Amino acid sequence: MEQAAALPFATRHLVDLGAEVIRVQSHNRGAGAPPDRNYQRNKLMLGLDLSRDGGPELFRDLAASCDVVAHNFTPRVMEKYGIDWQSIKAIHPAVIYCSLTGFGATGPWSNRPLFGPGAEAVSGQNLMIGESDGVSTGRPGTITYADNICGLNLVFAILAALDHREETGEGQHIDISLYETGVCQIGAAISEFSFGAPLPGPAANSDINYVVHDVFPSKGRDKCVAIAIGEDQLALLMGTLGIESVDQLERTICESDGDLIADRLQGAGICASIVSDASDIATSSQLWERHYFGAIDESSRSLPLPGPAWGGGRQTQMVKPHQVGADNRQVLSDLLQLTDEQIGSFYEAGVIGEVADSSRRGRQIPVQLRIDRGELSRTDPTRTDWEDMIVRYP
Amino acid sequence: MKRALDLSAGVIAAYPGKMLSEAGWDVVKVESVGGDPLRRQASRMGGGTGGAFAYLNHGKRSIITDEAQLLQLAEQSDVVVGDFSTQGCQTSGLSRALMQRLAPQHVLCSLSAFGLTGPKSEWCSSEMILQAASGMMFVTGEADGPPMQLPAYASAMTGGTVAASAILAAVRSSKQSGKKIVLDLALVEALTSLVHVQVDSYIERGEVARREQYVKQALRTVPAADGYIYCAPGAVSNVRMEGIAHLVGESRLAEERFQTAEGRMQNWNEYVDLMVSSFANRTAGEWFQLAEEHHLTLALVQTVDELFKCPQLQSRQLMRSVSVGGRGTVEIPGRPYRSSASCDEPRQAPARPGEHTDAVLKEWLSEDADG
Repeated sequence: MEQAAALPFATRHLVDLGAEVIRVQSHNRGAGAPPDRNYQRNKLMLGLDLSRDGGPELFRDLAASCDVVAHNFTPRVMEKYGIDWQSIKAIHPAVIYCSLTGFGATGPWSNRPLFGPGAEAVSGQNLMIGESDGVSTGRPGTITYADNICGLNLVFAILAALDHREETGEGQHIDISLYETGVCQIGAAISEFSFGAPLPGPAANSDINYVVHDVFPSKGRDKCVAIAIGEDQLALLMGTLGIESVDQLERTICESDGDLIADRLQGAGICASIVSDASDIATSSQLWERHYFGAIDESSRSLPLPGPAWGGGRQTQMVKPHQVGADNRQVLSDLLQLTDEQIGSFYEAGVIGEVADSSRRGRQIPVQLRIDRGELSRTDPTRTDWEDMIVRYP
Repeated sequence: MKRALDLSAGVIAAYPGKMLSEAGWDVVKVESVGGDPLRRQASRMGGGTGGAFAYLNHGKRSIITDEAQLLQLAEQSDVVVGDFSTQGCQTSGLSRALMQRLAPQHVLCSLSAFGLTGPKSEWCSSEMILQAASGMMFVTGEADGPPMQLPAYASAMTGGTVAASAILAAVRSSKQSGKKIVLDLALVEALTSLVHVQVDSYIERGEVARREQYVKQALRTVPAADGYIYCAPGAVSNVRMEGIAHLVGESRLAEERFQTAEGRMQNWNEYVDLMVSSFANRTAGEWFQLAEEHHLTLALVQTVDELFKCPQLQSRQLMRSVSVGGRGTVEIPGRPYRSSASCDEPRQAPARPGEHTDAVLKEWLSEDADG
């Protein structure tokens, strides 16, 4: 029973490992947005309204036939419908039941809602990003950073729980939160602080362990090169770039192609990389050669799509996401052996249902306005560079 | 008890072993005589030497051994994990040739910066370099400023978490098929998977998302009387402007023009002024308390020292005491999730290299040992 990003990211990875994942979602609310291929592909989509008579019973019947039951609602919601851990455990003692919440299923903040961006702030991460002048605080550049980190932690917890169950026969309740996984993500820095380091704050792109540790603009709009070197490599850096002092570094890079500079520095054994944007990622020969991208059929063409976070997307079968409720019949007949007639009566009672195909998009904001605001670097709807990669890495 | 032989040196391949130890595995770290260089590494702001080592190696035992014994120990383990890239081998002092002779029962996992194949496999890296190469750094920072690095160790933590899952899945698969599995994982790919939405937008529509893609859809962090409060209508679905207007007692914030992200952007300066003046008269803690009464999702913007005083973390006992040789004990985060299943109290991080050599050799290599 999933919404937003954290749990869907976790279960999508279970899909990639070969699990059959049923996404339970009400067909009576929250519909409208087209299903997201990164979070929802390959999942069986069940439209189930828990507020209808018979809804919670149907959920419990399904839960009893699954290895893992997972939700990311507040504890209150699950208790209200009698589908909390205690209730499911009563009918399925070996269940692995996962509660993914903002702050955790226990404790004084347990019933507070929290979303990914707030989790980044409360876990201490925002105050470790950005300029060191302390005027504003940064945040990780994707809106789902904390969600996805939490989801990746949950994948591990579930796999470990499955192992534990095979060894002992014992199921368990996994209680995981955006907040705590966010805190653990910076655990090494927290540990350094307890070992006597100064309070971690925004330090722009500096790192005291290096003499050069920054990004430098290179030729072209929004192109930068990141360089990290220690004291012992300073002469090597200057020799490689043919400069006499570090002061010339900025100007030399500014006049050069970033990819070429990064290649040249790496050739000399210096840590450097362009600051990759989405187009660099989509056309990265490193990623393509390592089969990072898989392919998904989308409106009569095949689009590259990242596979699991451990790589190997090429070996991952990718199926276009279905609409809510599209798999009702299959799920109920396969898992519960319900007849067409029984399934029909659930439809009639509104317990299950489907959401019509909707590709509704929000009102589109003009691209030039988005570029002016700094949301987009550039846009080129006609580019075909990633298509070249498909040809080069068949 | 499942066994992992951990050949990590430095941060890159260290975290999977910690996660496995928290899942009840016996994790043995092989160290050089001089010890893991991470033991001597300071934080990026200086100081705190050894803190990252203690966190990433918690729960492991440390041994010093020769190559012959290493190969024997590998045969007795379910999993061997290390960084077998050129850079990784330089750090650990091990070799790719040795890697090819390691024969664990189930899974041999290399976790390296860029992976063992591809044009960048020989590249050297640091945390920031990986963040830059992954696509995460390009989108982090202010719209009018340069790309910014993420908190320290973001790639090692993300890649390590991902590798730990891949290892568990591979062990499971190997047990079913009877075939050994070799994994070649890359930190940069794990981090790249977090920008899938941006990569998707480029592939589908040619849009190159920039820093602050969500820039003014939400004023993210609002100064309170002390520190900041995270208040982001638009980023967070249940923070509606009328709710905020009611919370802070500023009816103008409920006006039509501030209701949508687009409207807030068009009236940006006025919006910011209203928000900043409205939140200035109470502390962040007071706003956080009031928000709960108003059922609004506001978050505290905490510093690391505040985490140690947080009632929620105290109640959940997230922090764990570890001893620091001769300096007493400090608190660091423990396992990132709670489990109702019984679990042993994890071990401390190894105080010195080779601390457990005798015990491990005896347990793993004696003929009558089980497993």
